[in-house]
Amino acid sequence: MTRGPMPELRDHLTSPVTRAALTVQGQVLACAREFLTAAGFMELQAPIIGPVTDPGGRGAKPADVDLYGSRYKLMTSAILYKQASLLMFDKIFFISPCVRLEPLETAATDRHLVEFHQIDVEMAGASRDEAVELAQNLLRHVVTRTASLRPDALETLGRDPGAFAGYGEGDFDRMTHAEAVRTLHAIGHDSQQADSEIDWPGEAKLSAKAARPFFIVDYPKGSRGFYDRESETEPGVLRNFDLIAPEGYGELASGSERESGYRRVVARIRESGENPAKYQWYLDLLRTGVPASAGFGLGLERLTRYVAGLDAVWQASAYPKLPGTATP
Amino acid sequence: MTGLVAHGFPEQPVRRRARHGVAALFPDAGGYGSALFGSLFGAQDTAGDDPLESARLVPPVFMPNRLEKLIELGREPTYRDVDLSTVIGALRSPLPVYVSAFGSTRAAGHELGLAVSRQAASLGLPMVIGENVVPVNGFGRDSGPAGRSLLSRLRAYAAEADDVTGGVVVQQSTEDADAEVWQLVYGDPSTQRLLDSGRLAFELKLGQGAKPGLGGMTLVDQAAARRLADRYALEELLDSGSDADAGSGSGSGSAALLRCGTPGTFTAEILAQQIRFMRNNFPRVRIWVKLHPGRDVAEAATVARAAGADAVTVDGAEGGTGWAPSAFLGHVGLPLHECLRRLGPDRPGLLVSGRMWEGTRAVKCMALGATAVGLGRAAMLAADEDPAAGLVRLVRCLELEMRMLISALGQYAPAALSPHDVWNPAGSPADRTPELQGVAP
Repeated sequence: MTRGPMPELRDHLTSPVTRAALTVQGQVLACAREFLTAAGFMELQAPIIGPVTDPGGRGAKPADVDLYGSRYKLMTSAILYKQASLLMFDKIFFISPCVRLEPLETAATDRHLVEFHQIDVEMAGASRDEAVELAQNLLRHVVTRTASLRPDALETLGRDPGAFAGYGEGDFDRMTHAEAVRTLHAIGHDSQQADSEIDWPGEAKLSAKAARPFFIVDYPKGSRGFYDRESETEPGVLRNFDLIAPEGYGELASGSERESGYRRVVARIRESGENPAKYQWYLDLLRTGVPASAGFGLGLERLTRYVAGLDAVWQASAYPKLPGTATP
Repeated sequence: MTGLVAHGFPEQPVRRRARHGVAALFPDAGGYGSALFGSLFGAQDTAGDDPLESARLVPPVFMPNRLEKLIELGREPTYRDVDLSTVIGALRSPLPVYVSAFGSTRAAGHELGLAVSRQAASLGLPMVIGENVVPVNGFGRDSGPAGRSLLSRLRAYAAEADDVTGGVVVQQSTEDADAEVWQLVYGDPSTQRLLDSGRLAFELKLGQGAKPGLGGMTLVDQAAARRLADRYALEELLDSGSDADAGSGSGSGSAALLRCGTPGTFTAEILAQQIRFMRNNFPRVRIWVKLHPGRDVAEAATVARAAGADAVTVDGAEGGTGWAPSAFLGHVGLPLHECLRRLGPDRPGLLVSGRMWEGTRAVKCMALGATAVGLGRAAMLAADEDPAAGLVRLVRCLELEMRMLISALGQYAPAALSPHDVWNPAGSPADRTPELQGVAP
């Protein structure tokens, strides 16, 4: 892949690459809505600001908003509202705008934007494995439909339609986090720690080795947010997953079975170093009960980059913002 | 020099060293050759019945390690041959000394924080930037007087530092987590040089020596109180215009409310997971953990190290810059000596603070298991005495004393010290701890 600096805005907006990439993105979105709506999911509009947001991980900071003197946050993800929305509908999705002030080192990963969108899905009463199956079927539908409906755009981008030929019918492979760590150590990536998130270079190596998308499941506690449910039979292991694209494109989606018990969530919030007081509205709902659930967030720009075969994720945004730079 | 005072702390000796440098380590040179010198009857700056103060360093007669050094050098070794360089919580330092955090009290505000930062950096010593600096004083990029902000301290340090030694340790307690201090620092362009050279650390603060089991407390004025009301408990315990600032040292008389932070809730699982979370979210920083002198300090230190902390700091129950209830200062928390006894000598990465300012207390702590000692109030007083070089002079005094004391014990590196180098007088509480008596009966 060849990389250069981001072009001037006019050059970017008038580039045939941008036009083709956003054509792919539009089709991806239409296909996602088509699939989820047919599967009984209700599309809701995601909140943009709130008194609290997903604390996230990996050093990203939420952006503050002064709401008439109260300190509000732009959503880093809509996870808390996804769980709350299950009080209305059993199956919901948002196309959520997200803002994360990512650490500066992520500016060079080709996979991080400060402002991006997620296809955010949540379903009541579901298990992790049901969420994995849904993510797999959604991806398969979106990718194969987009490839068949927009060959012109893919041709403009030089994307080989054969890249998706291996999707077939069978389930995508799964490996546990522990297996991923062992694989990385076996190929000489010794910096990967057993109790941490798969690091960016490690994820890229696993992704590059794969011919089809695959799942990494069972991340260790301490690597993910407090809402990823901890296994009752294997303490310290989370009932969660990442969906990883092949060809080095890396992570597309993260999901999990959710913690929804008030007591467990409060303890998990403390384990992530936070004061539960700021989650008051969310904890008040949990005290009186929200449905157990599972779900995931699928990054729209990352998915577009993968389908379109783009060098960098910023090419999948009309107005990209990279960590550390101030652009329109 | 401001009106900074430190009751119950050897303020005047610290100020003498900060003003006069190593000359202050010895009797007045004018009396040399005419006056007779001997032991003071009772140490001049001791803190009551503190067993660390009443303990003595006890050089042996036979010194096999001095022979080893003699063979290595091919000449008789001197105190100048003591190698004090060490690694403090994964940060390289020329001395087993770091500057510990001082909090959000007015005593630590204004230019003093910058003066300490500049001098700590020029000495190459790691420096902790402490509790609640952001919620009270503001993060430089957002708001607040620039001279008091976290970023200005960071920048002052970075401007004087080389790229090899020292580093900055940014503390975060439960309230600071709401302000996302670590995320701000980790993503700020001005900290990238420290990050790139592996010299940025984050310290998870579980408690403090001055008031174990309580959160941070500072006096604030009415305007600050209104700003902080949604985040802190506020106690109207003082009438406006009363002598409210005696402890915080600003003397302005306008502070009238006590701002009380929460201490945060910890279990072994919560501590272990928070450390893992720090490592996961901030993979390029070093991890420090600060413990108050709790009765389970050894267990907590073990949990912290097992979860991946590079350093565990224990703050003895000997005071601090924050406002604390008098009941706590006199009656709550383990003395530092007892913390060291419970921790035992085999604790890599153990750092201690509490009444540190001169060599004997520092060397005793290192003999009892500490890797390095933190200067808190002493650093503030020294920089207050002379903002340009007070801390540098104080540290040069400490360095010379440490060299002389360690070489006198027949050792040439702090790591070679052991509990045998410390003797506790009969009748002192420490004397009932056989493993630390040092000299066999």
